[in-house]
Order: sequence, then C-alpha cells, then structure tokens
Amino acid sequence: MQVAVSTEKLSKYYGKGGEIKALDGLDLEVYEGETFGLLGPNGAGKTTTVRLLNCIIKPTNGTAMVNGHDILKEGTEVKRVTGMLAESPGVYEKLSAKEFLEFSGALYDVPRDVLAERIDDLLKLFGLYDRRDYLLEGYSRGMKQKVLIAAALIHDPPILFFDEPTSGLDPSAALIVKDLIKKLADSAGKTIFICSHILPIVEELCDRIGIIHQGKLIALGTVNEIIAQTGRKTLEEAFIAITGGVDERELLAWREHRSAST
Amino acid sequence: MRENFWPGGNIGVPAPKWLIVAKYQYRITTSSIRGIRPYFPYLVIGFLAVYVTFVAPAIVALFVNDFLAFIITQAAIPMVQIILFMFFFYLILFPISDTLREMQTNQLEIFLKAPIKPGDVLLGEFLGRMPFYAIVIVVITGTFTALMKPLGFDWAQNAIVIITFVITLLSAIWIGTVIAALLRTRLGKNVRGKDVGRALSIVVALPLIAVMYAILGGGLLQALVDPATGGMVRTILGLLPSSWGAEIFVGFVTNPSNISAVGFETLTRFVGLIAFSAAALWLGTRAANRAYSLELTTFIAPKARKDGLFYKTVRLLGGGGSSGNLLVSVFKDYGRRLENLSWIAYAVVVIALLRIFLSDPYSKPEDPLINLSEIGIPFLTAFVVGTVSRGKETIFLFKKTPSGIGKFVKARLLQGLVVTIPIAAVLIVVSTVSVPQMTLTSALSTTILGLLRTVASVVLVLGLALTIPIFSEGSRERALGPVINLMIVLFATIILSSELPRRGLSFGNMLPNLDRLTSVLYDHLLLTAIFFLVGGALLYIGTRKLSKIE
Repeated sequence: MQVAVSTEKLSKYYGKGGEIKALDGLDLEVYEGETFGLLGPNGAGKTTTVRLLNCIIKPTNGTAMVNGHDILKEGTEVKRVTGMLAESPGVYEKLSAKEFLEFSGALYDVPRDVLAERIDDLLKLFGLYDRRDYLLEGYSRGMKQKVLIAAALIHDPPILFFDEPTSGLDPSAALIVKDLIKKLADSAGKTIFICSHILPIVEELCDRIGIIHQGKLIALGTVNEIIAQTGRKTLEEAFIAITGGVDERELLAWREHRSAST
Repeated sequence: MRENFWPGGNIGVPAPKWLIVAKYQYRITTSSIRGIRPYFPYLVIGFLAVYVTFVAPAIVALFVNDFLAFIITQAAIPMVQIILFMFFFYLILFPISDTLREMQTNQLEIFLKAPIKPGDVLLGEFLGRMPFYAIVIVVITGTFTALMKPLGFDWAQNAIVIITFVITLLSAIWIGTVIAALLRTRLGKNVRGKDVGRALSIVVALPLIAVMYAILGGGLLQALVDPATGGMVRTILGLLPSSWGAEIFVGFVTNPSNISAVGFETLTRFVGLIAFSAAALWLGTRAANRAYSLELTTFIAPKARKDGLFYKTVRLLGGGGSSGNLLVSVFKDYGRRLENLSWIAYAVVVIALLRIFLSDPYSKPEDPLINLSEIGIPFLTAFVVGTVSRGKETIFLFKKTPSGIGKFVKARLLQGLVVTIPIAAVLIVVSTVSVPQMTLTSALSTTILGLLRTVASVVLVLGLALTIPIFSEGSRERALGPVINLMIVLFATIILSSELPRRGLSFGNMLPNLDRLTSVLYDHLLLTAIFFLVGGALLYIGTRKLSKIE
C-alpha cells in the first residue's frame, strides 16, 4: 500500500522555550485509500496536526509528506491535493452558499464548467439546492457545516481532512456525511483523515485509528487492536483507559457538604 | 500520485488569485445591496459626476472669495498640509479601525488552506474594497478640483494636482490595509487580542479629533504660521508624503499657468511621492506573509486573580451576600473588557479636548456645573451604561432565575454608578479649582449637584438603554446604543436648559431676589429631578420590556 500521509517527529510547541507542546514528535503513516481517525480529548493536538498537514501552520520540529509533497517545501502543492473541513471554520456570511462554493472553487482553480455543475450537485446532495441563493448568515450551524463540507470537496482532492465532520449536524445530515465519507473512501479511492471525539463515528468509518493525548500519539491500530491492547470491551472504555477519566464515585461528590456538622 | 485530479475538466489558464479575491471581496462588501448590485457602479458614477460637476462647485462658490484671499497668505501651506495630513491619516485609520472593530480570523483558514499567496489575498482584499475607497477619493479630489478652477491653473497643473491627490490617498488606504491585516493576525487569534483590537478601534481616532479641535478652536494654524512655535511641527509635517502634495498645490497657487517656475520643486516632490507609493506597495506585499498566519503569538489564557480590596468593596456596595456577588460578577464582566475601559477613556479625552479647545475659560462659579452637565456628564454616562448587554444570552441567564431581570437591572445600575461617580467627581473637582472666584461653599455645592446629576443621568441613560435595547455581538451595532442615548440626553439637557427659563420656569425668574449662582443651582436641581423622574419611569418600562423579551 502506498503511503498518502507520513509524519516524521512532527512537533509544534508554543510559549517561551516551547514549554507548551501542542504536538510532540508525531510519527504516523496513513495509507492511500484508507480512512484514518485521530481520536483525542479536547486540546490533545488533533486540530494542530490537521493544520500542520495542511500547511496552515509551520512545525517547530520534524516534517511530513502529503501525497508525496513535503509540507515544509511544497506548501502550494500540498494545498492543491488536500481538502479540509476545519473544526471551527469561518465562512463569508455575506455570500450565498452558491457564491461561497464558487469562491472556494476559484481559489483551487476548478475549471468554470466543472465548477458550476459540481456546485449544483453538491448542493443537491446536501439538500441545500433550493436555498443556494440565501446568504450564509441566515443558515443554521448544521447547514453551514454542510456548505463547508461541500467546499472541502469542491476541487475533488485525493486527500480529505475532516475535523469533527458531524459537529452541529442533525441525525439525517450526519448520516449523509457518514455515507458520503464511506463512498469517498470505498468508491472514489480517497484517503480520509478524520479528527473526532465522537467515538461511534470513528468506530464506524475508520479502518485504523490513532489516539492522541497531550500532543503525543499513545495508541495506533484498528479499533479491535486498540480494544485488545487495553483489555477492555468497547472503544469507549479503551479510550477512557488510555486518556484517563473520572472515577464513578466522584460523579456526585460535589453534593456532599463536607464542612456541615451533621 | 495523480497529477490532475479534475475529473472531466481542464484547468486551462486560471484567473489571477488576487482578481478572484477582489471579486468576492466586492461581493461581500455589496451584499447588503445585492438587489441593485448590477446597477450600483453606474449609480455611483452618476452621483459622483453630479457631485464633481455641480455640487462641489456650488459648495466651493460659498467660500471661494475667502479661500482666494486665504490661499495667498502665510497660513496657506500649513493649512493645506494639515488638511491633506488629516485626509491621509484618516484614510490610514479607516481600514484599521474597521478591521479592529470586528476581527474575524476564522476566514483566514479559507485562504491558508488554499493554494494562494498571502500577497494575492492582501492585494485582492484591497482591490475588492477599492470601489468604495474610490468614492471617498473622488469626493475629496473633486472638491479640490472645484477649488482649483478660480486659481487659473493650466491643464498640466490640474492633472498633476489630481494625480498627486489620488496617489497620496491611495497610498494611505494601502498602508492602512496592510497595518489592519497585520493587526488582525497579531490580535485576532485569541479573545484577549480581539478585546485589545476593539479597544484600540475606539481610541485610535482620538489624535485626529484632537487635531480637528485644535484647528477649530485651539489656534493650531496660527501657531504653525508662527516660526517660533510652529517650526518643529512644520518640519515633521514636511516629512510626510501628504505635505509633498500640499507643497505642489501651494506652489502652483503662487504660479498659476506657469509650471516651469516651480518645475524642479514639483518634479522632486512628485517623484518622491511616486517612490513612496511604490515602496509602500512593495513593503506591503512583503509584509503579507506575516499578515496571513494562524500561528499563535501567545498561548497564555487570561486568568482571573483572587478578588482584592476593590472587588470586596464593590461586593459590600452591592449589599453583600448574593446581591453583592451579582454586582461583582456584572462588574468583572464589564471591567475585564478593555473595550469598555476604552469607551471611558474616549469619553474623558473628548470631554477634556472640548474643554481645552472649544469652550471659553471658566470665569463664574456656576460655569463648571453648566458645562459638565450639558456635555461632560451625558458623554460619560452614555458610554458607560448606554448599552444593556452584548447579546441576549446574558439576559437569558438572568431571565431563567427568580426575579432575575430585576436583579440584573439593579446590578447594572449600581455598576454604572460605581464607575461614573468617581470619574465625574474628578472632572468636577478639576473644573472647579480652575475657577478663580470659587469659594469653598460654591465648590462643595457644585460638586454635590454635579454628582447628583451624574446619578440622575445614569438612571436616565440606563432607562433609555433598557427601553430601546440594542443587542449585538458586533461592536459597530453596539456602539449605536450609547450614541443614540447620548444624543437624546444631550438634546434633552440643552432644550430643557433653554426652554424652561424661556417659559418662566426658572428660579431666577420666579424668585428675582436670588443671586445668579443660587438660581443656577436651583435650576440645575430641578432639571436633575426631572431626569430622575423620567429615568425612573424608563427604568420601570425597560425592566418590564426586558422581562418580556424573547
């Protein structure tokens, strides 16, 4: 299997002397046509990884190859071959969905004849075709998310990064996104890199997963392998075992009034 | 690895990226007039043609004789220098202030993940907004062109002046756009930075206001003409490109239709201006890499310190217990936003500038009270309690608690008083000590009555803010609240101060034996009582309105 994304000691540090390690020495390989899931609690380094792999920020140490292009030297080429749905993405609220997708397509040099057709198809797929001329400021969060997914697909790149792809979506839209991701991987041969902490989605979609915690990759393998490594029954239990959780006895401890003289 | 991933399409020759960005920037800017977008350029061109051909000459005709007499005097060069400097500075500030007010960095990700150079984004954003800047430039240049007509310039002089104006103003907007983009990147990535940005957007215009007031009433021009006082400022102004344009203009005024008489001076300044603009353009595109980045410049999350003496006092003022805690929470949310502190600074500086440059020196004991009540106190209170809250979410927090809205209004009222009373006290004391004939009794009564008016004004402004609430996360929309309330209070104060005595409702008229100071103090007290009554009624109405808000 050919490697689509590979990282070598990829690191991103912040603060004086780099004391805050957002990502610390990530070594990872994602194969062509694979759907890979990066799991981790909030602030674990998932978004930093995606931003580094899309050349949005520069690594402090290490490097990565994306579709054969070095993120340090070939930023433009990397950007051409990737599509990205950011975790908290911005849209131009004063553009309509159609205008926003035209704009996104133009940034990636999508030919005009292809673009017009593709925009219509994507808007129909996400059930937004009838609202294509409405300004995005009037869209709900879920509808904006659909437009942003369409924008990530607009240049039909071989590698797709989805940071929390179903965030804010209703069950039916979430199902469309899940089915779409499956189709993109199975039928279109896309390499898909998903960041999420919604475990059922990752479990359902991903061929392999990595668990990242405090900037370090601490587990890697298929869902079954990870469960087996931790000796638990479910991915959720395995995830908690790896990243740490709260003891059941602590859940209602806040109700106790320790200083009361009862 | 696939080279071309466009199924069924050919890339061909793609449009330049800066053009794509410019096109969509224009669409974004004109989204509110989408219905007339196709005709908009023609409408604007038509209006501008009418302005340049008819309106500007008609305006100029009103003061052309004074202008012609003035332009040959010693004051002409500094005056034109100052005017061009103000336009130059204003056009630099315009994009900066606009960006700082609403810093959105989320959209940066759209560009950063796409194969586009930062320089193209910057140029595209600049060009996309250009049609609107062009309107400002045409209005300014059109007015100057109308001024040039009676001066007898030949076509070459006219052309050079127009080109000079356009280059100077365009350079200013470009510099402003670059600085705005850099600031957005520097400040827009965290909440604290955004707050700093909003705070800066408020005070950034103060130097311009100071210069304007100094021209209007501070004798700035006279000081500049005087070699003893104006030498250094003129030298500094002379270094700015806006002054080079002014010197070209004034050079032509003294030599109409005789460009060769000032040929060398004109050439050097004109070439200097072009070189400056080219350098600004080059440096701006070089700076673009820094202007479009999502690299965090700081990773320090703002941390609350343990409550000190100040918050303990505020808690006590709020009555201790849960209502004291509530006041402290409202106060913290207010005081930890630099934007709010910036509004206070803005109000105080404007009050000081008005006092320094535009009002007569205080000669009578009642002067400080009249002046502060008419302008200072309304300014201060409007900018402190002129808005209800940033968004409706804060109101909903209170709505779902028992008697929550009442508690919220009480806390906002107390918070407004805690902020405004000390500042008003300082303003009143500083003003009263500057009056030569002020006795201790007069000073004390002035201070007490001034503080009473401050309290009444807080009640009135908050009442207005609750009755006409403006909820917005946007700085621009939110600033509307204080401005509207300020206008209402200013208007009410001025009308009532002049109208009540005219209708005989003045203690001076009713009790002729009273001395001037006492009658002014009584009138002031009457107006304060009216403010209290109206403000109280508005607070009641506003509280009920807020309780019903959905």
